[in-house]
Amino acid sequence: MAEKILTRNFHLPGSHTLVLYRETGGYAGLEKAFAMKPAEITEEVKKSNLRGLGGAGFPTGVKWGFLPQGHPGPVYLVINADEGEPGTFKDRYLLERDPHALIEGMIISAYAIGAHLAFVYIRGEYVQPWRIFGRAVAEAYEAGLLGKNIRGSGFDLDVIVHRGAGAYICGEETGLISSLEGKKGWPKLKPPFPAIRGAFGAPTIVNNVETICHVPHIMNRGAAWFAGLGTKSQGGTRMYSVSGHVTRPGVYELPVSATLRSLIYEHAGGIPGGRRLKAVVPGGSSAVLLTADEIDVTLDVDGLKNAGTMAGSAGVIVMDETVSIPEALMVVARFYAHESCGQCTPCRESTGWIYKMARRIVEGKGRKEDLDTILDVARRGAGTTICAFFDGAVGPYISYIEKFRHEFEALIRK
Amino acid sequence: MVRLTIDGKEIEVAEGTNIIEAARRLGIEVPHYCYHPGLSVAGQCRLCMVELGNNPRPQIGCNTQVAEGMVVRTDTPKVLEVRQSIMEFHLINHPLDCPVCDQAGECWLQIYYMKHGLYEPRMVDEKVHKPKAVPLGPHVMLDAERCILCSRCVRFCDEVTGTGELGIFDRGDRSEIGLFPGRELANPYSANVIDICPVGALTDRDFRFAVRVWYLDTAKSICPGCSRGCNIDVHYNIRRPHHNQGRRVARLKPRFNAEVNRWWICDAGRYGYRFVDDPSRLGAPARGRGDAAQEVGWEEIIPLVTAQLRRYRPDEIGVVASPKMANEDFFLLRRLVDHLGLIHVDFRVPPRTPGDEDRILIKADKNPNTRGAELIGLGPRPGGLDARGMLRAARDRRIKCLWVFHHDLQASAWPAAEVGDALRAVECFIYQGSNSNGVSAAAHYVLPSAAWVERDGTFTNFEGRVQRFWKAVEPLGLSLADWEILGRLGAALGLGPEPASAEACFKALAASAAPFAGLSYRELRDTGKVLSA
Amino acid sequence: MNARGAVRVEFTPEQLAEVRRLQGLYPDRRAALLPVLQLAQEAFGHISLEAEEYVAGLFDLSPAHVHEVVTFYTLFFREPKGRHVISVCHNLTCHLLGAQQVLAHLKERLGVEVGGTTPDGRVTLLGVECLCACEMAPMLQVDDRYEGNLTREKVDWILEGLA
Repeated sequence: MAEKILTRNFHLPGSHTLVLYRETGGYAGLEKAFAMKPAEITEEVKKSNLRGLGGAGFPTGVKWGFLPQGHPGPVYLVINADEGEPGTFKDRYLLERDPHALIEGMIISAYAIGAHLAFVYIRGEYVQPWRIFGRAVAEAYEAGLLGKNIRGSGFDLDVIVHRGAGAYICGEETGLISSLEGKKGWPKLKPPFPAIRGAFGAPTIVNNVETICHVPHIMNRGAAWFAGLGTKSQGGTRMYSVSGHVTRPGVYELPVSATLRSLIYEHAGGIPGGRRLKAVVPGGSSAVLLTADEIDVTLDVDGLKNAGTMAGSAGVIVMDETVSIPEALMVVARFYAHESCGQCTPCRESTGWIYKMARRIVEGKGRKEDLDTILDVARRGAGTTICAFFDGAVGPYISYIEKFRHEFEALIRK
Repeated sequence: MVRLTIDGKEIEVAEGTNIIEAARRLGIEVPHYCYHPGLSVAGQCRLCMVELGNNPRPQIGCNTQVAEGMVVRTDTPKVLEVRQSIMEFHLINHPLDCPVCDQAGECWLQIYYMKHGLYEPRMVDEKVHKPKAVPLGPHVMLDAERCILCSRCVRFCDEVTGTGELGIFDRGDRSEIGLFPGRELANPYSANVIDICPVGALTDRDFRFAVRVWYLDTAKSICPGCSRGCNIDVHYNIRRPHHNQGRRVARLKPRFNAEVNRWWICDAGRYGYRFVDDPSRLGAPARGRGDAAQEVGWEEIIPLVTAQLRRYRPDEIGVVASPKMANEDFFLLRRLVDHLGLIHVDFRVPPRTPGDEDRILIKADKNPNTRGAELIGLGPRPGGLDARGMLRAARDRRIKCLWVFHHDLQASAWPAAEVGDALRAVECFIYQGSNSNGVSAAAHYVLPSAAWVERDGTFTNFEGRVQRFWKAVEPLGLSLADWEILGRLGAALGLGPEPASAEACFKALAASAAPFAGLSYRELRDTGKVLSA
Repeated sequence: MNARGAVRVEFTPEQLAEVRRLQGLYPDRRAALLPVLQLAQEAFGHISLEAEEYVAGLFDLSPAHVHEVVTFYTLFFREPKGRHVISVCHNLTCHLLGAQQVLAHLKERLGVEVGGTTPDGRVTLLGVECLCACEMAPMLQVDDRYEGNLTREKVDWILEGLA
């Protein structure tokens, strides 16, 4: 069994408390970080090959490096805890079971990028995680770990915990920023990117919860150790959320070099009831679907990319042979139609249209042209929108139909 | 300056220019809906995609600023395919009700679909339904199903007027433009949202179903509603006279002038044209008061009026010109006043209620040519009376002949009794104007003027910008442009032949009045010139 | 309460103090709009148009801009809701593991359609997108709480616990 890093305390009672976090070595990374120069931390994070674990997989240190040098005004750190990608639930575990890991990671990251105000944007439905995390922030303030002159370092950091109000699009980093600013969660045009002009017009770094939770460990044990846990292009472990038709659904922390097959069959206990595997969503709802014979792939960003899909948010949804793929597509298409923010035309119009077609097929009123229309509309819309939301929807639209076309055709023929 | 290449043509433009504007300079149109040069960039319609260098993914032109050495293509197969796709997306939930849509003929969905459409409708499912024919305010009607959610109207109310009445509510394909329930869109510039709406979602309650736009002709003009002098287009219908209840002027639209009004006009100006085709228009010269009034021809009235002007001593005649008249009119009037040696001349009559003013366009002075009247010297003269003084002198029978242009003195700030007394007492009251009003019935002689859309001319706005307006339609009935009436009177008074045109008057003005020296109609072009003095 | 049973739309002095604190917390006071709307929903039960106008006034915003925000997010209720809200996840994993049966059972037990509120005002039933607790699919959220691994019996037990 590989070493657990992020989830190492999850089984301990009181894992969410400062006392236990400290007893298990917490806030040691912070002491090390404060002994370093901010630029050295960014350099260390770059060397660690830590990549964004929210979905896009962008190298974290490189992202930090996009901030303007010597910016005269404020710089903000925003933690994306708007977990919403269907099939993903890891950040909820981190917020509830190890909130101080996130706080420590935030202090170090803020110190590295020169931010003195950080926001944690938690999805509105996450009431318990919000309460637990809020208490941890209060504890940290009381212990002098947040606020002015943290642990005598001379570094100040305030944290504002902000709750969302129900919109998947706020997980998109610029949609999140709009929402944080008190507006609809409409993603912003890029350029400018948030690192240049983000929240409240200031340079802003938006990072996922899990990504930032890794930072104290990188400080503690070094970039080389972290990089060594993963593949050539991605360091460390990551938390895989496994759900659907598996014996033991849950969160599994594995080195990113593990395979999808081992995750499903060894860790999650395989398919219950002796049924056969039909398909797997490997990286959250927006990832291209893999068939049963496409699961011998490593789970790192590049491994899944080479398999024609994506690591995304590492939400793995397992479907056994009983699943109707057209029905699954209808459910997924309903989700994208419901969550499209409506800002730009291709996404606003085609998510609703594709859902109508998918529903009609499932209802037995499909027309033979429908499948090619869905494929064509998805392809034509791809790459034309303000944000990556629609491109995310295109993954399932195309792969469900292309890989299981016979199931759709059977429904249409009926 | 930045050099770049668009479709193989090189161009140099200012830093910060976007690709749509740079291409426009080369005569290349990059189709777009949400982009508007007067508003922030929204990037929502996704139609203005272009290819940049070797980037395989087309980018939107509105949010891409030019860069040195940039290579832009607006005509590649990829770009054309994207446009076609985006057009399809814009139309799948659109009702396609062109036959009953008032925007038909000037709708950018129609225009771009002709060029970039898929011509293969594939949408067979039930469209999203939204509110239709919703009055948003006194001027604007909304059809939310036709709306393509470009957000121009929302941005206009946020960024130009700062009133924020409009929003986009809900999300996904249920997104919908609207007002906060119970509120209305009634800011002084509300109808501009109709102009910037690229489709039939926002239509003009005043204009809708009046005339099909393809029957309209256009003349460049200047709004006469205040001293700003907003540049406008007059849209008039003479091809289908049975439409629009015979009214010739169908609507006014703003005409871009970077220095005056940019893309906008106020609602008061936009809807202030109704007097042109109003039953109150004076259609023929007339002599005699009340029951004795009778319409006559110009051949008859000109000698009668000149006889009156000669009959009185110069200090017994009062002239109240109007700041609604054109510079050309002022020039001829001034010449005539000087020729007769009149001393009581003015043009200012204060309104009963002071005009409203704001920091956008609207000026408190509701006259288009106060500055022109001042510069051409129609204000009170040393030793002469001002307009109110003339009224009092008329009451006291010291002034015996009063010549009033356009003003409705009964609607002025002066007491009605004072005006009434003066007009009753005066021996000869000449009224020259386009419409009958509270004082015209009291006139012994009525000289009917053409409305501003029925003639050429120039106004000088509050900052001294001289701007041309062009004739759109023929003068109603026997009415004539003020300069023409004054030219005929002048000829009859021995001032030489009447000028052949408004341009000839302006030429003579430029030759004689220092502030206008060196100007000509050609020099003024479409957007006017600020006087140096 | 007025005759129609609606709560008067006005914050208490304590709530107003909280509004001011929130507005002062962020680099830009508008950022406090979501928290203040959340506070309004807590205080008034739902966010009526009257409440939107009231909140708009507290921020010097046009009511249309507040309306945009309220209509954008799913957690703002624009109509009175039940004393309890049950949100059944119907996204992919829950769908695979029986969300439709859970919804059907709840509809039958409560006698309402999805989106409806029981006549006694006890429960509002919703179908919602992924609540990110797929490991306990099929699952639902009842007020603040997640409940998973739902069976008919467990759903019945949850309903019994609701006053």
